[in-house]
Amino acid sequence: MKFIVSIKMVPDVYAPFQIKDGELLMDGDRMVLNAYDASAVEEALVLTEKYGGDVEVVCIGAAKASETIRKALAMGAAKGYHIQTNGDEAYDSSSYAQILADFLKDKEYDVLSFGKQSQDTDSGLTGGMVAQLLNLPYATNAVGLEIEDGNLIVKRQGDSGQEMIALPTPCLVTCSNDMNEPRIPNLKGIMASKRKPVESVAVSDMNLDGAALEAVSKVTSYSPVPARAAGQKFEGEPEEIATKVAQLLDTEANVL
Amino acid sequence: MAKNLFNIDDALLFESELGEEDRLIMETARDYAQSKLEPRALKGNTEEYFDQDIAREMGEMGLLGVNIPEEYGGAGASYTAYGLVAREVERVDSGYRSFMSVQSSLVMYPISIFGTEEQKHRFIPKLAAGETIGCFGLTEPDHGSDPGSMVTTALKVVGGWKLNGAKMWITNSPIADVAVVWAKAKESPSDEGVIRGFIVEKGMKGFSAPHTKYKMSLRASETGELVFDDVFVPDENAFPDIKGLKGPFMCLNSARYGIAWGTIGAAEFCYQKSRQYVLDRKQFGKPLAANQLIQTKLANMLTDITAMQMLALRLGKLKDEGRDHPSMTSLAKRNNCGRALEIARIARDMHGGNGITGDYRIIHHMMNLESVNTYEGTYDIHGLILGREITGIQSFTPKG
Repeated sequence: MKFIVSIKMVPDVYAPFQIKDGELLMDGDRMVLNAYDASAVEEALVLTEKYGGDVEVVCIGAAKASETIRKALAMGAAKGYHIQTNGDEAYDSSSYAQILADFLKDKEYDVLSFGKQSQDTDSGLTGGMVAQLLNLPYATNAVGLEIEDGNLIVKRQGDSGQEMIALPTPCLVTCSNDMNEPRIPNLKGIMASKRKPVESVAVSDMNLDGAALEAVSKVTSYSPVPARAAGQKFEGEPEEIATKVAQLLDTEANVL
Repeated sequence: MAKNLFNIDDALLFESELGEEDRLIMETARDYAQSKLEPRALKGNTEEYFDQDIAREMGEMGLLGVNIPEEYGGAGASYTAYGLVAREVERVDSGYRSFMSVQSSLVMYPISIFGTEEQKHRFIPKLAAGETIGCFGLTEPDHGSDPGSMVTTALKVVGGWKLNGAKMWITNSPIADVAVVWAKAKESPSDEGVIRGFIVEKGMKGFSAPHTKYKMSLRASETGELVFDDVFVPDENAFPDIKGLKGPFMCLNSARYGIAWGTIGAAEFCYQKSRQYVLDRKQFGKPLAANQLIQTKLANMLTDITAMQMLALRLGKLKDEGRDHPSMTSLAKRNNCGRALEIARIARDMHGGNGITGDYRIIHHMMNLESVNTYEGTYDIHGLILGREITGIQSFTPKG
């Protein structure tokens, strides 16, 4: 099967950040491959290593995103597509979905695979939107993938069991990072990745309708996670403490 | 006001100066070290244990021989990449970095530079894969900073050389399959001898490598001796051309360069753990971090680390451009080891009683860095190398 995996460059969650005057300041130098996308790449590699096929990756981003594409190539993907932006566009999930759908509409593939969300925004919207725009059968939040009789078998984790969905190809799936442990590319893979093909196209050269790319949502401000209030410690006889805690749960916490 | 962020781990944004390939290699080394080495380090230090699977794992990741040409099984990456790998591995433990430095810079490197084509193909690919482990024998029980006075000899015999003598403080020796050994080669017993290099293999008759006991530093890696009792080494295991101290010094220079980078990782670990500790730990109702004494300690650490990063980055670029000089490496090795050791000692102090236990892993770094400051040219010897450069007067030989 042929997989095209959509990947995104996101700030390293371990990089320091600050919120000042409702604006988010991040160290723009520490960018990494989105962990959910890394799982999608890993699973596509595992399946093609087992059954044959190809893995290609597509990434929208500024020039710097070439590093993220190279990471996926170093893991084992065969080819990359870099849809280049200037980096200062006010795009949201809808804009990215429009660009991806337009880019992918003439490409050949059996499975379009996405991370179920990105680490920076946690929106989880783009995959579903692309499926809608391309009119593809799709499933979200996969924790396991298999291939059977030409179908993609998607395992989804539910509250009380697992749901198995057979998707006819071509299809789209979004992947959870619970499905695997993405391989760490070795140095041989990293050195070999520079010899793999990467096709670049600028968004501005794609003849897209400007209005369709306009963001339909915007972030109005950022605020830090509120500090947790200190807990209370109760000491004394178990029965007395139990009574007191039950009272507080009832009268103060209002949870009973 | 500019909307730029002050990065408290990378104050002058040195990582942003790295090329794409070097950053990817750094990321790989970091992911490997944090996921596979960090969980082993406490046991390694407590039980004085080096898990030999680490050699194969590092081989699979391509972390052995980072800048050895690809045709011999190395990665063929830059000196900067090699340094970045050392930094990530030493962030976990100097012992693991020592294993890697010796394998790469002191065994694979000399074979790749001084060895015959046959030796390169026979030894380097297996060393790169971590299938065999190497060590480097230069230092002797009575000759450390003064290796030119070594007493290990290699006497010419039919078809090879007969080695006699002993080497000490040899990283990896008890587990090594291959030892690059420097000895005074003599055509006849009365010759003065000239230093030459030999590849001694495990199992050669008369060759043993006893483990060094009661080591209080670098406990997560192996250290031992090399003992040669009439060991016959065939001609095909001798380096053909290199003679004199230039050979071992070229190796040491390569390893010292890795140390200059590695110590940054150890120092960063100590600084970052100390910062978190003083923010979490409350005394007199306030975090320790609220005290001026503590804050200036952290400020000094970050300043030193930033300087260490800048030195290493610049030296790496000069090496990649072929513009380096061995004394540049002495300057960086000396400074970065000294600063890292000081940072580790202060970090230990800031952790109070908790700094004494292995759980916080600070004391491991502190103890390790005592060795790192001493080996591969002590802090003071590198000072004398620089002193000679500055004044034109050598002062290694005491005048008294």
